Amino acid sequence: MKMEDMPLSGPDNTKLEALVHDIYSELVEDACLGLCFEVHRAVKQGYFFLDETDQESMKEFEIVDQPGVDIFGQVYNQWKNKECECPNCKRLIAASRFAPHLEKCLGMGRNSSRIANRRLASNNNMSKSESDQEDNDDLNDNDWSYGAEKKAKKRKSDKNQNSPRRSKSLKHKNGELGSSITSEPYKYNYNTGISYETLGPDEVRSLLTTQCGVISEHTKKMCTRPSLPDADAVVESDSFDIPDGQTLMSRLQWEDSPDISPTDSASSKASTNHSDSRKPKKKKRTSLGLNSVGVVGVGGGSLTGGSSSSAQSNISLSTKKKRPKLSAPSISSIYDDLN
Amino acid sequence: MSKDSQMRAAINQKLIEMGERERLKEVLRAKLVECGWKDQLKAHCKDVIREKGLEHVTVEDLVTEVTPKGRALVPDSVKKELLQRIRAFLAQHATL
Repeated sequence: MKMEDMPLSGPDNTKLEALVHDIYSELVEDACLGLCFEVHRAVKQGYFFLDETDQESMKEFEIVDQPGVDIFGQVYNQWKNKECECPNCKRLIAASRFAPHLEKCLGMGRNSSRIANRRLASNNNMSKSESDQEDNDDLNDNDWSYGAEKKAKKRKSDKNQNSPRRSKSLKHKNGELGSSITSEPYKYNYNTGISYETLGPDEVRSLLTTQCGVISEHTKKMCTRPSLPDADAVVESDSFDIPDGQTLMSRLQWEDSPDISPTDSASSKASTNHSDSRKPKKKKRTSLGLNSVGVVGVGGGSLTGGSSSSAQSNISLSTKKKRPKLSAPSISSIYDDLN
Repeated sequence: MSKDSQMRAAINQKLIEMGERERLKEVLRAKLVECGWKDQLKAHCKDVIREKGLEHVTVEDLVTEVTPKGRALVPDSVKKELLQRIRAFLAQHATL
């Protein structure tokens, strides 16, 4: 059939209209037929009259169609303006405010526990008691409100001025480092009394060579994660002269961050610098290696001696790529201990 | 007039081929349900069935009883809209 424009002449128009109506009638008939088939099937399958019961129930549940009332006949805002007596404080509260009031009054809602904990924590901050571990944690788990967080964090930072963790966090580029520390579930020591000024250098050294030693800002506890053998901190051999054990030491300090750096602000500086470039792996390491040589002497001195560093460097020579595997067993061992 | 019937046949064919017929059918069904036509007609069916007896109702019975009433019960707005749509389709795709 050719496609031509439709002329609007009289007879054609009526024909067209007739056609339109015919099409319409066909569609309506189709709809009716569809309904008939549906009903007939329902009758024959026996579910057509299922929604009917005895006359009494039908009348009871009939649909109500009056203004001001829902289809069940109930008034829907009947109790809006009423007052209820609180069972706790015996006051009369408006109905719409009743539930929030009960929450605060009985001390059972989300916010009321938060406020109570905050008060508790502020009291305990003054007295430095040990038992507030969960409270302090909860404090920082608030839904984020800027003022509250600032307030809470400010108080915490006032507490431990010389904590190694604080010196690290002041070097602000430490983002990745800090997050990697807080995100791993290390064991916590219950010695909140530890602060590194009170211990002598020997004690600190012995402590930190065996344990992680990072003091949490939240809970003021020292992490007792056993230090890793550092087998995987080595860079690819093509970018380094391998025998340079001291350089490798710096690698180790940098890669496995919490182990060594807390004792030494210089080495912690180095570690923060290293952590900057941790992600862009290959090329930057060479330059960092050169930078770190000067620092390594200091860092090396903080260890218990060359033996441990050489041992570490020997292991680290062979196995950089094993890092993910190594950390898994160590972490699982931590979990075992926790269990 | 064969030309006429030819034209009709061609138009119907086009309606079906382009899926327009199905679409129109769905639109009509939806509108009829919305406006309560279906429930009205179902209630009428119930009467017919009670009259004829539940066991002996046949499709033909239902059809003969229900279709004329159904045609009459379609609200004007629905009818107008559907006619409008059909006309639009013809205007777009019809030939004469």
